[in-house]
Amino acid sequence: MAIMPDRELKKGNAELLILALLEEKTRHGYEIGKLIAARSEGVLRFHVASLYPLLYRLERRGWVKGEWEPAGGRRRRYYRLTPTGRRILAEQRSRWRAFSGAVNRIVEVRHA
Amino acid sequence: MPDWKKIVREKLGTLPLTHGRREEVIEELAEQLESAYEEALAQGINEQEALQRSIAQFKDWEKLRREVFQSVEGTHLPVWEQNGAFAPRRWPVWIALALALSLLLVPAFRQALAILLVPGNDTTAWCSRIFPEKVLRRIEQSGDKEKYARALAFVALHSPKEDDERAMHAAEKAIALDPNLTWISAKVSHPTYLYPDYDPHPWIERLKAWDPQNGFPYLLEADANVHYWEPPWTKYAASAAILRQSLAAERRWRIPMEKVFAAPRMDFYQLHRDAYTRLLPLLRRGARADEAAAVESALAVLPRFDYSVGGPAHSSLKAAAKRSAQVILISAVFVAVLGLLTALWLVLVIVLRWKRNANSLSHLLNRLASPLCFAPPALLLVSVALFLGYYPYARSIAQIPSYQELEYGYVPVLMGLDDLTSFVPLTDFWVAHMFWPSLWCAAVALAGACLLWWVRRLTRPDRPDAA
Repeated sequence: MAIMPDRELKKGNAELLILALLEEKTRHGYEIGKLIAARSEGVLRFHVASLYPLLYRLERRGWVKGEWEPAGGRRRRYYRLTPTGRRILAEQRSRWRAFSGAVNRIVEVRHA
Repeated sequence: MPDWKKIVREKLGTLPLTHGRREEVIEELAEQLESAYEEALAQGINEQEALQRSIAQFKDWEKLRREVFQSVEGTHLPVWEQNGAFAPRRWPVWIALALALSLLLVPAFRQALAILLVPGNDTTAWCSRIFPEKVLRRIEQSGDKEKYARALAFVALHSPKEDDERAMHAAEKAIALDPNLTWISAKVSHPTYLYPDYDPHPWIERLKAWDPQNGFPYLLEADANVHYWEPPWTKYAASAAILRQSLAAERRWRIPMEKVFAAPRMDFYQLHRDAYTRLLPLLRRGARADEAAAVESALAVLPRFDYSVGGPAHSSLKAAAKRSAQVILISAVFVAVLGLLTALWLVLVIVLRWKRNANSLSHLLNRLASPLCFAPPALLLVSVALFLGYYPYARSIAQIPSYQELEYGYVPVLMGLDDLTSFVPLTDFWVAHMFWPSLWCAAVALAGACLLWWVRRLTRPDRPDAA
């Protein structure tokens, strides 16, 4: 079995990361990029050149919805989860838990 | 404070998004730049560096432009809106296409293509493709009428095996018209053993009288006297030594064979035949009758081939010619494939220029055209590789000063091409013999990649390091 490289791992789960951050509250693109780096303690860094095309793709699929809102004297585009996005997030989260749990059970257990 | 929207608008250029999304995207990306800039200033970084850091977040604006369009619209950016180095709205791709096509003006390149267009490795099949039965008949008739000896000789050499009566008839007339063509007797006398009551001896005697120093007619005579592949000789065939012993005891075989070994030289007229089977048809097919006549004249005055002249120098010439044939063939495969892809790309971009409405068909055509933009520059590269591979052999055969050079240079190239197009085990050619050709092709590919990289940088004004 091929080992998934770090970059591929991030790429495959980028959608999940964004959907998960938007579950709590609406956020703008800059905030999303910063939050991913901060919450992963620098392990995951999202290149902004990839972030915006990904946000637009999610919006086209109807998983998130972007709306302009005033913020600090200017306006920003805030994204929120749509009902479809919530359902997709639940599915992806469930798959991730199953996957990471399986990997943990193998990696963390010390065999006698 | 920099005008962030203006910066993003300039960097992105035209972005044909529908429903006013372009301005929204510009505003959002400008927000991203501004936020990064403010954060850098808050960290104590000076304005100039903060500006550079902020813009450097997007290293490849053209890639961003393509990805944004694809994400928003769900389809590829139209080819006529793309700004890549080889997009149709930029000059490098058209320059590459023009250069690739201009190679067709070079006679050597056309000659290389003409040789490669002849399929197969069997000489008879090779010639029958160029001169089918109907054409042969026409040549024969015109030769008969115009007393054109060379054409008749050609007919004699290329008649189908089951119709050798016609070959003999043509050969008879050709030799009568031009005794210098007597060498074709060797061909006519040899394959007709299978015909009952056929006597090849008059042809052999004619050859002996015309070329008395040559041992080859005696070899033919020994073969004609004793068909060692037929009874009663087959009973000795179990052991080669016994067969040789028995043949030596047979006077009709031994005496001509002694003359073979006693003859001052041995000429199988192979090069004469090569000239007629390979070179002349090529020249004639390209309506280069004058050059064909020059070749024939040149062959007539060339010194006779001396088999004692050979050795390592000629072997290395032969090996080099064969390697060139391999390079030529590999390049030719790519030229054919990339030529087709370039033609497809050209058709697509023309159609897309004319058909600009966004429907599923134009999306499909655009999706096909986008990755094909590399076909014209790649075609130019492989065409140059083909040209360089063939160039050393591209001069007219009439300019070749000796039989040796013809034998060890030009003919091995043609033979090498034939060898490769025939079915051979992988280990024989594509593994064991492909080292140097592969190295050559890799070098050309590397040089080409460097060139493409340079052109790409040169033509990308959105890159801060572009020229």
